[in-house]
Amino acid sequence: MNQDYLDMARQVLDRLVVDCNNVPCGRVDDLAIEGNPGTELKISGILIGVGPASNRLPELARVIVQKVFGKRRVTVPWSEVTVITDHIKLKSKANDLGLDETRSVAFKIISSLPGAWKK
Amino acid sequence: MKKLLEIFLSILTAMGGFVEIGELVFAVNAGAKFRYSLLWVVLLGTIGIMVYGEMSGRIAAQTQQPVFYLIRERVGYAAGLGTLIAASAVCLLTCAAEIGGIALILKLLFGGPYRLLVVCGFVFLVLAVWFLSFQWIERVFGLLGLFMLVFVFAAVYLGPNWPDVAKGFMPNVPQLETSHEYLVYGYFCVALMSSIMLPYETYFYSSGAIEDGWKPSDIPMNRIIVIIGFVLGGLLAVGLVMMGAQLFMPAQIEPQLPGTAALGPIVTFGRWGMILALLGMFFAFGGAAIENALSGAYNLAQFFGWPWGKYRAPKTASRFNLTWIVIFILATVIIITGVDPVQVVEYSIIAAVVILPFTYLPTLLAARDKNYMGSHVNGWFANVLGWFFFIIITLAALGAIPLLIITHGGEG
Repeated sequence: MNQDYLDMARQVLDRLVVDCNNVPCGRVDDLAIEGNPGTELKISGILIGVGPASNRLPELARVIVQKVFGKRRVTVPWSEVTVITDHIKLKSKANDLGLDETRSVAFKIISSLPGAWKK
Repeated sequence: MKKLLEIFLSILTAMGGFVEIGELVFAVNAGAKFRYSLLWVVLLGTIGIMVYGEMSGRIAAQTQQPVFYLIRERVGYAAGLGTLIAASAVCLLTCAAEIGGIALILKLLFGGPYRLLVVCGFVFLVLAVWFLSFQWIERVFGLLGLFMLVFVFAAVYLGPNWPDVAKGFMPNVPQLETSHEYLVYGYFCVALMSSIMLPYETYFYSSGAIEDGWKPSDIPMNRIIVIIGFVLGGLLAVGLVMMGAQLFMPAQIEPQLPGTAALGPIVTFGRWGMILALLGMFFAFGGAAIENALSGAYNLAQFFGWPWGKYRAPKTASRFNLTWIVIFILATVIIITGVDPVQVVEYSIIAAVVILPFTYLPTLLAARDKNYMGSHVNGWFANVLGWFFFIIITLAALGAIPLLIITHGGEG
């Protein structure tokens, strides 16, 4: 980047997150920020999941989305971030951070079908 | 040599995959109602889809970012989510209409209860997507969809008035009897344009570029495929309008079913004309159903950042794979209720116009961003065409729903 600051809203929020093997593992749905008024603010992590994403919706839409899809949220420590380009690259593997496919109901259904392992 | 073969096959698949049930119905009806006077809309729509198809393919090859990555990044989460919901609804409805179209074709070919044939169509499509690779899906359905060329040959065989055909390519409004007929003409302009520029085409094309592993060095190939493939695809649409004008207008028939459209090749080429037309429609509708189901899954996966793509083993992209299966199931349920697939596609095409600006604006903004595209950024010509078509589709989006209501879906 040829600028001396990081625009969190434009260069981090909503960007694709990939693990150390370049496997997509979500979007930056929100940011965890620590600090108090008058003190220095610090980005402590990126938030991924339907919980933080739905918090950005208007009230009625937020309630409906959370009733239907839940409030799952995974916090990835900022120290995990290694590269910020058009995507955010993490140091670890998706399953070490709780962001892999195997946790979804879809995985149980799809992996039980014939040929699910074959490219 | 291998590259040339790849380009040749890609052009043919782009051409064979150009027409789907909505375009077939609107194009033949446009000819039957307004003779050749809507050919300029086919030309305009074909240039429009070439402009945005080229941009989305170029962005994907350069940045590995398909359309729904861009939509969320460029318009934000809430507006992006709204576009996602609307785009998913359009993909679902279009997929439902295509499955209904497949069942109608199967009924004409083999007979049998309609609902059972809907289920057969569903099973065939799910098995095809599950077991075929992305490249084979493109090739089987794209190449066999080329049987649709029989409609172009039929249109030429029926002896068109070539000077009048040529005049139809100039923007015009024909002399009509009542003001209401002018509104119907306006409705057909919007619907025909939308059926050619359906948003799923750019979702599928840009995601397909990544499925095919395109790199920046493939950008010239992208341009060749779009220019030649879409122009030839546009010719299919021109052939359908001409056939409507020459066969159905003099007989005062308004063909509302895909099977009626097949009368053109039947009248001109007899039994073989019928078989080729029905096979062409079967594979064209099948290809479009698959493209819509996969586009719905691509969009969802790209918006939420899930692993996606046919190039991955299904269990490593399980949410993506479950999504397209669910889209096929829901689309089949919609059609099994007995709704008319042609009416479904009419509504989906008008809904598609409304989301076109939300799909194309992020694409245009990304393609003209030098920081993002580097040396492959839009030139002045692509920018002028991009903004021109953005204005056109925005005007079409504003007029679409009022025209649908006032003209009762173009029925006057």
